[in-house]
Amino acid sequence: MKRNTLVLTAVLFILALFAWAGWANWEYRKQAAERLLASTAQGELVASPAGGAPQYISPLKGKAAPAFALEDLNGKKVSLASYKGKAVLINFWATWCAPCKIETPWLIELRNKYAAQGFEVLAISTEGDDLQKDDKAGWARDKAAVAKFVQQSKVPYPVLMDGDSISRPYGGLDQLPTSFFVDRKGTVVAAQLGLTSADEIEANIKKALGN
Amino acid sequence: MTKAIMKICVAAALALGSLLAQGQMGASGRSIAKPAAVEYLFPEQVTVPAGKASSVALHFRIAPGLHINSHTPSDEFFIPTVFSIPEGAGVRLEGANYPAGTDVTLPIDPKTRLSVYTGDFEIQARIVAVPGNHMVEAKLRFQACDKNACMPPKTITVPIDVIGK
Repeated sequence: MKRNTLVLTAVLFILALFAWAGWANWEYRKQAAERLLASTAQGELVASPAGGAPQYISPLKGKAAPAFALEDLNGKKVSLASYKGKAVLINFWATWCAPCKIETPWLIELRNKYAAQGFEVLAISTEGDDLQKDDKAGWARDKAAVAKFVQQSKVPYPVLMDGDSISRPYGGLDQLPTSFFVDRKGTVVAAQLGLTSADEIEANIKKALGN
Repeated sequence: MTKAIMKICVAAALALGSLLAQGQMGASGRSIAKPAAVEYLFPEQVTVPAGKASSVALHFRIAPGLHINSHTPSDEFFIPTVFSIPEGAGVRLEGANYPAGTDVTLPIDPKTRLSVYTGDFEIQARIVAVPGNHMVEAKLRFQACDKNACMPPKTITVPIDVIGK
């Protein structure tokens, strides 16, 4: 009788332990997923009230643009903080992205048009998630492709490398091009996902300039 | 008897520890799953003569609304669709015939022509298998876009059970 009670107690204890482990595991996963979602601050596309193309709503709008310091093509560190007092268009792009290629001449034209008013474009090359961190040859090829594209397109603004390293605070960058318009105080005033139009980009530049 | 109960408790604790460790790895090591732009359809299994080059038709499906670059994209910067088989799989890829891409333009810029695949497409792979049963994890690398935006390049696994006879 005593032995049966002991065995039963042990079995019940083990079952309770497994139940607790299952619950703790589920809770841990849930919290980790919430933390991940919060850290990526992903935006979403919503229908335009005017009935046109969907609009990109970024949770960064109205907030300080996440800080970064990335190397340009010459290996020089360029930080967002160094552009405080200027309106900045942070444009995440890639050489392999056809819509990015289409909008590049628009960005060049708009940058030249508004530069005198204190506007700059920071183009950030985003390779994607295919290259491993230790793939030096792969990263060198990526840099060479970016340099070639910049030279061919005569890009006059800074082009920074390794956008992937700052993709999380900017919403994960699942699609390119993605642009953030930052005002002179460093606040995100607008964001765009995908190819829009030169007019829409210009309207957001004016917003960032405070015009 | 007490020793037996102790053993049960220790085994349970070990199993529990293993479960918790798996849970923590799962939470930190995986990203949130997203629908794939390209899906491998079939075949799951092929039987080919061992040591001889054989042609195998591999079928893929691209998600609606998306396109991927063809094997010969229209621009040097674009990423081509490429099928490969890792070395040491018991199966060698001798070559592959890709379908010709369809020429499309984006609505906002009719001047830029793209060579792409949409919907279902088929790659004819020429493989040589050594005798035996080989679970091959072939790869398909591609880069997908819709009409306004592009997703980062991806490499998916193409699992094929190749029997060399």
